[in-house]
Amino acid sequence: MAGLSLAGTVAGCAPSAADSAQGAPAKSAAETTAATPSAAASSLAGSGSTYKDGTYSADGSYVSPNGSETVGVELTLAGGTVTDVNITQHPSNPNTRKFQGEFAGGIAGQIVGKSIDELNVSKVAGSSLTSGGFNQAVEKIKQEAQ
Amino acid sequence: MPDGDWEDFAFEGIGTQWEISTPVPLNGPVRARLLERVERFDAEWSRFRSDSRVSALARRPGCYEFPEEAQRLGSLYRTLYGITDGAMTPLIGASLERLGYDAGYSLKPSGSPLAAPAWDEVLDWAGTTITTTAPVVLDIGAAGKGLLVDLLAEELVAVGLEAFVVDASGDLLARGPLPTEVALEHPYNPAQAIGIVPLAGQSLCASASNRRAWGDGLHHVLDGTTGQPVGTAVATWALADTTMLADALATALFFVPGDQLQEEFDFSWLTVFSDGSAAHSAAFEGTLFT
Repeated sequence: MAGLSLAGTVAGCAPSAADSAQGAPAKSAAETTAATPSAAASSLAGSGSTYKDGTYSADGSYVSPNGSETVGVELTLAGGTVTDVNITQHPSNPNTRKFQGEFAGGIAGQIVGKSIDELNVSKVAGSSLTSGGFNQAVEKIKQEAQ
Repeated sequence: MPDGDWEDFAFEGIGTQWEISTPVPLNGPVRARLLERVERFDAEWSRFRSDSRVSALARRPGCYEFPEEAQRLGSLYRTLYGITDGAMTPLIGASLERLGYDAGYSLKPSGSPLAAPAWDEVLDWAGTTITTTAPVVLDIGAAGKGLLVDLLAEELVAVGLEAFVVDASGDLLARGPLPTEVALEHPYNPAQAIGIVPLAGQSLCASASNRRAWGDGLHHVLDGTTGQPVGTAVATWALADTTMLADALATALFFVPGDQLQEEFDFSWLTVFSDGSAAHSAAFEGTLFT
């Protein structure tokens, strides 16, 4: 029975066919995107290291369906905490600019964006297109602000 | 959460960030139990680790016994495979690898798009038993994260918790009497929201065509019949009784209109298109900023 248990419970399988094939454990690679922007911001604030006060900006890059884009992140640090975050999208790709323009234009009877900071919410449901780029920019700022 | 004053347990699992919020902090044994559950799931289903059962399946066809959750996962995938005419399939793994989304993260296409093999030609998924007739790369990415959210919720219920929120980087489950206010992230600006949904006793998941993008015109939602990425809709949300279902249907909305999916599944949906317009079912009425 020891051999069988290695292959899992073989209820539905002929014992010889199952192969548990234990290889060398590999590091589990990322299956989804990185952390949300807010998580990245709070980890900067709560990391315990000291950062110099000031306003820092850095660019991070991400890839949209329309090609490579950059996202600008500006953080204001005071007393080791983040007091302000500004995100500027400066899309180089004409399609992204077009889409952003259409969103910004507030199509009649259609959706518009509101700043999450101004909303009374505890969670965000989304896929964070730019979160990788945001985190990248925050990393640069962390080094810069040391 | 509901009162904004809950305790968070944050950790990393299956390559993403997790946050479990509860009215009182989770104790050490409960935390260990959750992490152990995540590890067990990863060890079975990850196509990124060479010691997983899914990797064994990719190396050698045969009959493999998977854990209990394989039952609901297989039956959901089979239904979605039918309703999307094969576009949504767990056999998409080899197509993703061809496009560069491989274990080594080469992020470089290694050939022209590869269509997934037909389900019935290579795969028999009966309950928890998976039998293959050819080496297949099983990818449960469209429902796996949601499934793990449900499995962690089951662990929390098993230790007697009644109110909690599980957040798997934007895929959410909320239990308890009070609703959690959830912002719907703007598809092109993560600092903005396009609406607010109160979540109570259900799960809300999002998908975006650009979520795991890595190259010009190549993104992670693939049509299994052609192996090519799909277009048009830019972001979707699905609200359902289980996170596995919400997760899978958020992806399915890229292939099948929401009203059609509603004939098969009990859920609510929202689809945002690249021109800034939106379509949604009744439950999302009044939740969007216009």
